[in-house]
Amino acid sequence: MVKNRGTAFIVLALLSCPLVLWSSDVFPYDTRIEKLENGLTVVSVPLENPHIISYYTIVRSGSRNEIEPGKSGFAHFFEHMMFKGTKNIPREKYDDFLTELGAGTNGYTSDDYTCYFVVFAGRENLEKVVKTEADRFINLYYDEEMLQTEAAVIEGEYYSSVSNPGRRLYETLRHEAFDKHSYKHTTMGYLEDIQDMPNQFEYSKLYKKRFYAPDNSIILVVGDYEHEELIECINKYYGDWEPSNYELKTPVEPPQEKEKRSHYEWPGQTMPRIALAFHGPAFSDEKIDKAALDLLAEIGFSRSSPLYQRLVIEEQKCLALYADFPDRRDPHLLTFNAVVKQKEDLPYVEKEIFNELEHYKNEPVPKNKLEDVKSNIKYIIVRQMGTTDGTAGILAFYINLTTDPHSINKLFDLYQKITPQNIQEMAHKYFSKTKSTVVTLTGGEEQ
Amino acid sequence: MIKRNGYRSLIFITGLILLTTTCSKKPASNISTELLPLEDNPLVCIKFVLNVGSADDPAGKEGLSSLAFRMLSEGGSEEYTYKEISQIFYPIAAYLDMQIEKEMTVFSGIIHKDNLEKYYSVIKNIFLNPGFREEDFIRIKTDHLNFLQKTLVSNMDEQFGKEMLNLMMYTEHPYGHNELGTVKSVKSLTLDDVKNYYENHFVQGNMTIGIAGGYPAEFSKKVISDFSVLPPGKTPERTLPEQQMPEGLHIVIADKNTPATALSLGFPISITKSHPDFFALWIAASHFGEHRQHLSHLFQKIREERGQNYGDYAYIEHFIEGRGKFPATNYCRQQQYFSIWIRPLANSNRHFVLRQTIRELKILIEEGIPEERFELTKKYLVNYTKLYTQTLDERLGWQIDSRYYGYKDFLKEARERIPKIKIEEVNAAIKKYLNYKNLYIAIITQEAESLKEDLVANTPSSITYTNPNMPEEILREDLIIQEFPLDIKPENVITAKAEDFFKETGIPQGNQQNNL
Repeated sequence: MVKNRGTAFIVLALLSCPLVLWSSDVFPYDTRIEKLENGLTVVSVPLENPHIISYYTIVRSGSRNEIEPGKSGFAHFFEHMMFKGTKNIPREKYDDFLTELGAGTNGYTSDDYTCYFVVFAGRENLEKVVKTEADRFINLYYDEEMLQTEAAVIEGEYYSSVSNPGRRLYETLRHEAFDKHSYKHTTMGYLEDIQDMPNQFEYSKLYKKRFYAPDNSIILVVGDYEHEELIECINKYYGDWEPSNYELKTPVEPPQEKEKRSHYEWPGQTMPRIALAFHGPAFSDEKIDKAALDLLAEIGFSRSSPLYQRLVIEEQKCLALYADFPDRRDPHLLTFNAVVKQKEDLPYVEKEIFNELEHYKNEPVPKNKLEDVKSNIKYIIVRQMGTTDGTAGILAFYINLTTDPHSINKLFDLYQKITPQNIQEMAHKYFSKTKSTVVTLTGGEEQ
Repeated sequence: MIKRNGYRSLIFITGLILLTTTCSKKPASNISTELLPLEDNPLVCIKFVLNVGSADDPAGKEGLSSLAFRMLSEGGSEEYTYKEISQIFYPIAAYLDMQIEKEMTVFSGIIHKDNLEKYYSVIKNIFLNPGFREEDFIRIKTDHLNFLQKTLVSNMDEQFGKEMLNLMMYTEHPYGHNELGTVKSVKSLTLDDVKNYYENHFVQGNMTIGIAGGYPAEFSKKVISDFSVLPPGKTPERTLPEQQMPEGLHIVIADKNTPATALSLGFPISITKSHPDFFALWIAASHFGEHRQHLSHLFQKIREERGQNYGDYAYIEHFIEGRGKFPATNYCRQQQYFSIWIRPLANSNRHFVLRQTIRELKILIEEGIPEERFELTKKYLVNYTKLYTQTLDERLGWQIDSRYYGYKDFLKEARERIPKIKIEEVNAAIKKYLNYKNLYIAIITQEAESLKEDLVANTPSSITYTNPNMPEEILREDLIIQEFPLDIKPENVITAKAEDFFKETGIPQGNQQNNL
């Protein structure tokens, strides 16, 4: 099946951004979707630009899929294992292939998905890339020793940011805020689970069988190539990939009944921090809840917001103030974060954040502020789509959520429809103190 | 005792002359320009590049450049407060970034061309009529103090290690302090210092204006004309002292409560991108430690074979990671250094990995780049550099850096030169510019005194693995590594508490017997 949206793409010297910004389509490129018999979805965005192709493989499995005890961090661990090669193309040959190609390549793991990308120059290399990537996803091979060595690398990666108090605060917040859902742990996972990874060889096989399958994966290609050539290659090299037909059932998070609080004492000097979170809705490109709260978070906590200007610029109580509300497949946290200059100001900052949220319950946001936010997010996305890789990265994110590349345009259409009353309604619906989780972090002697 | 490597930056001066002769269009102005018009592009990137940075901080006023320039990017104009500017910028998603390094400062922003006029009118006023309000000064100064006192030494060990290495390499040198200064020096800074710095350094002769993207034809002329009201002067040519090469292994260990050890090693080198040998040495460094790529030999030996940490890399110039994993631009320097970055690893294996790193450097120097990796590395560099210039910011950034180092297009030049380089030239460059006996080594770990004792005594350092079935070949090599001798003299090892760094200029005078 091929869908052709028929939106003409614009040919520019550098990869173009849309010239007509106020079209409802923030993503204006010709996007084609195909589905192989084995369930593999292919999203193709051919563009004319200077020879760059971004080749992404999106596996819809992240730390959300780590529903069994003791398996936190496994999606990220398995991302590392995906670079171990196959019997056809061992790791060293795979590395050398990408090295000779001069490709920008890596993988990353999130709550909901794991993404692998190869960014390279020259359409003449496309078939080789498709063949090599297909081989490693279908025929990945590693033995127990290789797994055990890589498990140590994960511990090393944990150490890379062990001195970052922001990470520890975030780990604590999620652990406190969630009771049942696998969003309770971060993508990195708990240290004790990381340290047990060397013993998980058998589980790793099960993990691959369940999730690294065509019916759980999407190939996204953006850049300078012919669509027909791409599809021919993908059919040729991915056709034998066996579907898993596995259905993941993530635990449902029960409603929070009372306020939760936690404190982490950092073993050294640090700026005091506070994270104040509410359970919010999952991503949707149809329901208004998440979109309305996204806009509220911008209006209330971006750099131009009254609270930021007061706490950071005027009163100078905070070094930073920001909201974080990631788009996720299941309901996640809407978190308000502050880095505070003096420990004794933590209660004041917490009170001001709560007061600000009460304010949005009681009064609709000014219309002009709402329009400013809508304008801001559109300009930002235009800027981010200035390269094939930027475009692919944004599209990969939305595809992971719904499998639909049109979700990004649907979402921005939804944003356009949000009214001040919608926002007020959502503030009432989601901001109740009994449903909040507050985590603070302090450490060292105050100066 | 310190050796002098006798390098003075004559080639850099040539680069600067080229910068001002090949690209500048100066109608009654001393301002240089770098223009990259792309008519159909909907975005415009603007960069104001100043050939001044933290190396221009007066003695005792370290951190002044940074504070003064941040007062521009985050201090508003006479017309608008910073708060008002935030309100103007927000709907058009505008921003004004400031990056400062030793000898270069860049203000930059990318804006949709529909909003160029509005954006430019605001930033023009910031630069030509800065706000310099007391409340903004206090806010930014406090932020800098907090960063030096708390964040840098306690919350970001990877960066801390690199900053420690900088302190060691550039003692009594204008590069020898963090861009933000020291706690003592920042406390001494006043708003008048900031105003004076601006008057003296934000001048035409220091400035290159870069514009790229879909801007109107007359826009660049207008910008030059507007900024020609600045004083025409120029900061006097900076004469840097000779770089200090260590004699032997000089080690500073920052002691803190941590489960992981951070390691940075290095020494100054006498060439920059301007020098013809740079390309051969670049091939060597790419093979030995390409940033965050499997190509890196160190990465293969320490991470892939032994699972010790997240990554291990080597560089022949100051490296800042930009978009993706590509090098960021506009961090140009007259003097550069070679460095190795070992990402944090378990404390128990710190001595072993230090030995392994130095041994690998020795092997590189003595045996050169392996023939089978040579052609592969060259192909890699030729192809990988094609990905460096995907955004407007990157294209303009590389254009500016090319001029600084005396090239019309450095990356094009590299792609032409690299395929022609012979393996003998690479190995000769390795022997000429790299060494393994004279190194500065920065370590952040716990129980620093215990490590010092082990280092000085050359105590054998076995490695522990979570994998009980390590390949025999690796275990055999481990036996060699754990005994690999490091000639470390007790007087060349300083231990100090982590929190004592960055209080004043230089290395904290902790438990050392001699200065470096």
